[in-house]
Amino acid sequence: MKMAWKEMKKNKLRYTILGLIVFLISLLTFIISGLANGLSQDNASLIKNLPDGTFYLEEEADETYSFSSLSDQQQQEIAEEQPATAFFSIQMGNFIDSSDKQRSVAYVSASDSTYFQEVHSGEVILDASLEEEGIAVGDEITNEQWDQSLTVAGFVDQEKYSHSPAAFINPNDFQALFHTDTMQIAFIADSAIKNTDDAPVFKGLQAFSNNEFLNTIPSYSAEQMSLNMIVIFLLVISGMLFAIFFYMINVQKLGIYGILKAIGVKTGKLFQMMWAQMFIISVVSLILSISISQAFQLLAPNGMPFHLTWETTGLLSLVFVIIGFIGATLSGIQIKRVEPIQAIQQGEM
Amino acid sequence: MSLFTMDNVRKTFAHGEVKEEILKGINISLSQGKITALTGASGSGKSTLLTIAAGLQTASDGQISFEQQELTSMRSEELRQIRAKDFGFIFQFAHLVPFLTVQEQLDLMLDTAESPLSKQTQKKEIKQVLELVGMWKRKDAYPASLSGGEKQRVAVARAIIHSPKVLFADEPTASLDSKRSQEVMKLIQNLSKERHITVLMVTHDMDMLDFVDEVIEMRDGKIVDKKNT
Ligand SMILES: Nc1ncnc2c1ncn2[C@@H]1O[C@H](COP(=O)(O)OP(=O)(O)OP(=O)(O)O)[C@@H](O)[C@H]1O
Ligand SMILES: [Mg+2]
Repeated sequence: MKMAWKEMKKNKLRYTILGLIVFLISLLTFIISGLANGLSQDNASLIKNLPDGTFYLEEEADETYSFSSLSDQQQQEIAEEQPATAFFSIQMGNFIDSSDKQRSVAYVSASDSTYFQEVHSGEVILDASLEEEGIAVGDEITNEQWDQSLTVAGFVDQEKYSHSPAAFINPNDFQALFHTDTMQIAFIADSAIKNTDDAPVFKGLQAFSNNEFLNTIPSYSAEQMSLNMIVIFLLVISGMLFAIFFYMINVQKLGIYGILKAIGVKTGKLFQMMWAQMFIISVVSLILSISISQAFQLLAPNGMPFHLTWETTGLLSLVFVIIGFIGATLSGIQIKRVEPIQAIQQGEM
Repeated sequence: MSLFTMDNVRKTFAHGEVKEEILKGINISLSQGKITALTGASGSGKSTLLTIAAGLQTASDGQISFEQQELTSMRSEELRQIRAKDFGFIFQFAHLVPFLTVQEQLDLMLDTAESPLSKQTQKKEIKQVLELVGMWKRKDAYPASLSGGEKQRVAVARAIIHSPKVLFADEPTASLDSKRSQEVMKLIQNLSKERHITVLMVTHDMDMLDFVDEVIEMRDGKIVDKKNT
């Protein structure tokens, strides 16, 4: 450790450049995963806010919730078996606010208020993003196709679906406004399942885990997949970077390694020295990039969906360190190979 | 009694198809506390012999024993331990570690040799040895700022700081002018006397032979003459 530090101090430029590149790549990774997570919140926080559980759609709906319809009778049968089941429907639509402006929303209506907002008939509860746009409690909203209007009763934080703010309405209003008498989706939380340990199976219904259900939202999987791909590429690149940089640094040091081996220094100690250097560089670079990405989170413009949790940050940092370790170790194989005799015969370094 | 013996040691290098025997049956025995010089024409195999003796490369055939241990049949980890604890090396070039100060070079050597001395005693020892080689004033200097002679004196200090039993030196004075050469040789001689270190060294320089106890002359991979001085 002492030797590792001494060498870095003596070769500041070389290690600063490596640290700088690791810093930039990790910062980019944090920013992109912040965006990925922010977008996924923006896209589907309505679903993401639900606890772990199982979603059910009609098998014939072919994984598309808007084609799914669970009749009253089906709902009753499910509820008999699992009383804690919530039934809900989502309908993309729009309304005209009191200043005659058209707004796109996702209407949500649920039979159960454990996981969803309870709304009285004639009222609507909106995602808080609409409050920021100037809609206030008490405002009337309406739609050309409706023969009634709804009163804004309140706002909730972070309830979005398909990049649109959620508008919670009473099931009776939902049925009247959208001319339906069925619900689309059944949901039961794992913690509320009765009599069985596994998710219950219902005839004619297809079950989805939270993640599977999220991926039935067409834009969701496409967005997340491309962003996660970028994150994975960045992680791989950082690993290769460590490998290449340490390879180059090691090549320059082969002579020294040979001499150290000749006088009896253990190969393991030379590896430890390299690992210590890799560790110091990654930790310093990561502390910097974590601070900056968190600052970015605070300063990012409101319209930019950016959400970086400490959990994600910690996990990515760990992956960085592990990948750096693997990269450095791979490049360190040459340390193992170097023969003391070569260094001695090569003459002055 | 001999501390170190080589018995019918051979070394063959393969240049593609062609095999060339560089050492053709070497027998040497080094007695404790004595300085032995290896001389001979360039290419006669002196360096090869020295590095094989020091465990830095393997012999193709023959036996090498040190304190009743058979070096030729040792695993590389055992050999490394012997190199670290019982051997010291001075090469033609100082080969100091560029990012360590003079003092730290010796520190590293004591560490590598797993010195049983306390840190405090080690510090004293380092001071003593550096004073002996006249480098105590430069204890915090990095190798890049030292002259060739100074570097070589630090290399000598590093080679003996852990009180090795055998010191191997390959033309330790070749990069020095004659005044410095004399100084370094005197140093090696004194250390050998004081610490009972057995020395095997390669030299071209006939002036250096004044400092040694025995001279072994090589020609063409064979020993052609041994004489006491
Ligand atoms: N690794 C090797 N592979 C092939 N040939 C080698 C190798 N090492 C040494 N030789 C050959 O062995 C012969 C003896 O080399 P060595 O270095 O032992 O000579 P030397 O007596 O030390 O010479 P000098 O006085 O010039 O240092 C030379 O012909 C050299 O080319
Ligand atoms: Mg030689």
